[in-house]
Amino acid sequence: MDYVIEMLHITKEFPGIIANDDITLCVKPGEIHALLGENGAGKSTLMSVLFGLYQPEKGKIKVKGKEVSIKGPLDANALGIGMVHQHFKLVHNFTVLQNIVLGMETTKGGMIQMADARKKVVELSEKYNLFVDPDAFISDITVGMQQRVEILKMLYRDNDILIFDEPTAVLTPQEIDELMQIMRDLVAEGKSILFITHKLNEIKAVADRCTVLRRGKYIGTVEVKDTDKEAMSEMMVGRKVNLTVEKSEAKPGEVVLEVKDLCVKSVREGHSQNVVDHVSFKVRKGEIVCIAGIDGNGQTELVHAITGLGGMSQGQILLNGEDMTKKSIRYKNTHGMSHIPEDRHKHGLVLDYNLAYNLVLQQYFEPKFSKFGFLKKDKINEYADLLIEKYDIRSGQGKDTITRSMSGGNQQKAIVAREIMKNPDILLAVQPTRGLDVGAIEYIHKQLVAQRDSGSAILLVSLELDEVMNLSDRILVIYEGAIVADLNPKEVTVQELGLYMAGSKGSKSAGKEEADHE
Amino acid sequence: MSVVYFIFQQTMFFAIPLLIVALGGMFSERSGVVNIALEGIMTMGAFTSILFLNLTGKNMSGQGQLLIAIVIAMATGVVFSLFHAYAAINMKADQTISGTALNMFAPAFAIFVARIIQGVQQVQFSNTFRIESVPVLGSIPVVGDLFFKNTYITTYIGIGILILSAVVLYKTKFGLRLRACGEHPQAADAAGVNVYRMQYAGVMISGALGGLGGLVFVVPTSTNFNATVSGYGFLALAVLIFGQWKPGRILGASLFFGLTKAVAAAYSGIPFLNNMGIPSYLYKMIPYIATLIVLIFTSKNSQAPRASGVPYDKGAR
Amino acid sequence: MNKKRKFDYTGVLSSVFAILIGLIVGFIILLICNPKQSAPGFFTILTGAFTHGAKGVGQVFYYSTPIILTGLSVGFAFKTGLFNIGASGQFIVGGFGAVYVGIMCENLGSIHWLAALLAGVLFGAIWGLVPGLLKAFFNVNEVIASIMMNYIGMYGVNWFVKSYKPMFNNIRNESKPVLQTANIPKMGLDKLFPDSSINGGFIIAVLVVILIYLVLDKTAFGYELKAVGYNRDASRYAGINEKKGIVFSMMIAGAISGLAGACLYLAGTGKHIEIVDTLADEGFTGISVALLGLCHPIGILFAGIFIAYLTAGGFYLQLFEFSTEIIDIIVAIIIYFSAFALMVKMLIAKVEKNKGDKKSGLKEPGDAAASKAVSDKKGGIKA
Repeated sequence: MDYVIEMLHITKEFPGIIANDDITLCVKPGEIHALLGENGAGKSTLMSVLFGLYQPEKGKIKVKGKEVSIKGPLDANALGIGMVHQHFKLVHNFTVLQNIVLGMETTKGGMIQMADARKKVVELSEKYNLFVDPDAFISDITVGMQQRVEILKMLYRDNDILIFDEPTAVLTPQEIDELMQIMRDLVAEGKSILFITHKLNEIKAVADRCTVLRRGKYIGTVEVKDTDKEAMSEMMVGRKVNLTVEKSEAKPGEVVLEVKDLCVKSVREGHSQNVVDHVSFKVRKGEIVCIAGIDGNGQTELVHAITGLGGMSQGQILLNGEDMTKKSIRYKNTHGMSHIPEDRHKHGLVLDYNLAYNLVLQQYFEPKFSKFGFLKKDKINEYADLLIEKYDIRSGQGKDTITRSMSGGNQQKAIVAREIMKNPDILLAVQPTRGLDVGAIEYIHKQLVAQRDSGSAILLVSLELDEVMNLSDRILVIYEGAIVADLNPKEVTVQELGLYMAGSKGSKSAGKEEADHE
Repeated sequence: MSVVYFIFQQTMFFAIPLLIVALGGMFSERSGVVNIALEGIMTMGAFTSILFLNLTGKNMSGQGQLLIAIVIAMATGVVFSLFHAYAAINMKADQTISGTALNMFAPAFAIFVARIIQGVQQVQFSNTFRIESVPVLGSIPVVGDLFFKNTYITTYIGIGILILSAVVLYKTKFGLRLRACGEHPQAADAAGVNVYRMQYAGVMISGALGGLGGLVFVVPTSTNFNATVSGYGFLALAVLIFGQWKPGRILGASLFFGLTKAVAAAYSGIPFLNNMGIPSYLYKMIPYIATLIVLIFTSKNSQAPRASGVPYDKGAR
Repeated sequence: MNKKRKFDYTGVLSSVFAILIGLIVGFIILLICNPKQSAPGFFTILTGAFTHGAKGVGQVFYYSTPIILTGLSVGFAFKTGLFNIGASGQFIVGGFGAVYVGIMCENLGSIHWLAALLAGVLFGAIWGLVPGLLKAFFNVNEVIASIMMNYIGMYGVNWFVKSYKPMFNNIRNESKPVLQTANIPKMGLDKLFPDSSINGGFIIAVLVVILIYLVLDKTAFGYELKAVGYNRDASRYAGINEKKGIVFSMMIAGAISGLAGACLYLAGTGKHIEIVDTLADEGFTGISVALLGLCHPIGILFAGIFIAYLTAGGFYLQLFEFSTEIIDIIVAIIIYFSAFALMVKMLIAKVEKNKGDKKSGLKEPGDAAASKAVSDKKGGIKA
């Protein structure tokens, strides 16, 4: 048996788009095979084909040498193929054990029997060092733990071909190392792994071979040890990329945003806890301050408290010296604050409005765009055309396009354009490049730096370590709601930053000291 | 003491149909489909089964006839609910719209058919189903008076459905899968659960219980059916929300509404309430006002199934 | 091609499709019930409205007046993300307000009818306001709250009318007629449609349709309301007070339904508030009108007239031993199939796609996402 999986000449079309165009992917037994490509390259579609969620128009699939027809996840599972999805497929109010057995329940007299399942899960978690509490609810455990549940789900089903879809996006560097080790252990036990990612370091660290896709097309398969990162990167993007951001030294001016002793309390099942814990910091004109941390350490709550989308239990927010603590969102919007929100679909856009309407989302009521309560549609359209031109926002019907139908990258560009055009004193950019391809990332990074150079203060919240290191002039590390370190990106390594983010370095008082820096 | 027994028995007449229908709604919503059509489903179930009672009234009577009527009511509910299931699941239609259409269709259909068959829209039936006292059990002091006198077999069926629902939802494979579909259908799908099939099952169960609820509502409180279940389907939705989609709490909620309804219907027979001189309309309004007030206190932390009302699309991730 | 125009066109097509299916199924039902009478019966549904010429047409407009308004009420709330199933309660409470002023306020002279009308608007607004407040501040599902308000309103009105002597006609168990001055003037429509019951209410309804269209489409306020309807979170982000939006939206919806009630009971056509324990049909018909009219004010105007036209035809059905409920059945089927609008739109889109650019190949990846996105667009309401 040469290959455990052979996906040969797979073509999958959607209306208006060929998501997979004659793609071939072959995985050898006992190897870790990386599938590399940008967002939108067709990786997820290819995997959905493998799992029978989509039927390809052309091509065939062989598993362990036999041609198979996969009609759904059950078929894939029967062939021993399992997957850890990028967005975990876990039911939040089920226990770990319930999630693992879902779809594979053992019953007796019609009733679910958990005892055997529990025994098997405990055995598996000991064998592969995947400790989790089987009776914990998913909503109560960390993302890292949830990933272990996903891995256990596959092992419980006796899968021997394991697919990891962007598994490291939500993990700390330390957790990533652990995951890499788990993957090596799994391969050592005879499993084969297909590892989907766009991170070259991880491929270098763990993969044996790598298949590259770009814009729905098959580019090639390489031996990882014989190929350098630059070459793989070029295969992925189709041109040479320069992921380091060109920027000059920051020239911080006066303080624009000051956050003093901010706390956000959350009450969950009777326990009250500070999800944002006595945070204080300042952001000055002409600097990019980055809040780095693992997802779910209070970043969202902190930003929401500053913008007014969420509440706060104590503290003060000053913008240009003016107390904004109790001011409305609209007041902040119109007094120098811009916000590129974390979730562009939830907060950033009214998806069923057209592009023009979205580009004036915080300004439609201003005299510029309305008179006596009536909208000046011509002015709104004019303004929209200006932004579309200036920021190269691409869409089917220009300003009349319903934003729902736009690509993620262009939706994000629209938001960035809107927020920057307000010429803010402080720009809060929360994960501004999430889910975008390299071109769009480069573009948005450039815009942020340009905005900094034109004198805005920028507060960047990011989970991507590369982005943090490349873009920021100062790094504040947030851990369990508290600022645990105030770092200079030039003087810190990624590994060190990871330790701070994981809470194993730094002290909770760092944020408070910062306030006294002056 | 006899007043207490009387109110309790009356409460059961109102609470049991609410309980049954709300449990039906629970299965539907727990599978991820909002079923606002319960009112229409009740109407249809009541219509066909009462029509059966009417047509066989000359030759049949008693519990046997009632049991056949129950089967007919449930079957009607299932068939009718399939229209909602098809719209909601296959056509990914707006579930509120399709439910509304069913609610409009049912009474019109009932009147139309009743007129064709018998000329008038009211469907009469003779009530031969009341159980004066259950043998042996009825003579137990207190408990016998409360639960086993002046009752209907449907009361016990309702309680049986409650217990069965709780067991099915929490202890069986089916229940686990159903709940997964209502919370996170993508997770269920990835685990190999056929989401569409589970949702069909959920809606069909709500159809069966809704249809049954229609019959159970009409039998103890009337001797004819006039193409309406007086908003009980909607009240059952409120019970479902008040009951936070959980069987035990749904029971509590139905008893609460049953009690307010019973008082409204029977206050004139209760000397104490009748002497207070409160206008009858106030009693009629109390169940609805109470619902509003209760909802104010229970809606903040809604535990609605997360995916309920959102059409599940396999392709969307 | 202009995107907006294209959208409307598929929308109208899907409504036409729903109407055709509704009529076909209605015909089949007639056919099953009484094959001989079915063809003339069905013909009557379609032509009954014109039986008496201009008078008949006037009657259609008269019937359509309240349901255009309740439809507008439902449609307006729908546009702002709320399902106003409470139009029935708002309608009767509004009607009560109008009748109260119509009977009790004697010395208002020529503005009497206007005052009565405004009372209806006000009462309806209050009845819509309650679920709006509950939704905005206590997260109470507006569907359930509105349903409760329907019953509370219906019983409350019955209670008040029955126990208040000056308003109650206990021989006929209904409210007394309003004073002559409280009846809405004919505004010349009686000349156009002689002998029919049409009155100025229809003109008022059309004006309100236009007003709501302008508010929704042209004003900053409408922008806010629609934004709240489409995406509450993004509206908050944009600095819109979304609670205010919800409250206003329900209040305006209530006001329009209240106006509907006022228009009916001030029509001077012998309509009185009957003391029966059933909810007003006009509110529920309003839901059909709104859905059939795609929740667009102009669409609602036509949908209201269309349903009134069917209903008028339905009256004459009794000549053929069919009961008028067949009309309700047809309308229910139309609504059911209008819920399939999404699929019809996608079907149309597919046909157009096949006609058009097959070669364009790899387009914006967003395009594929778009068709998916349409389907997970949550028009529905969680109960």
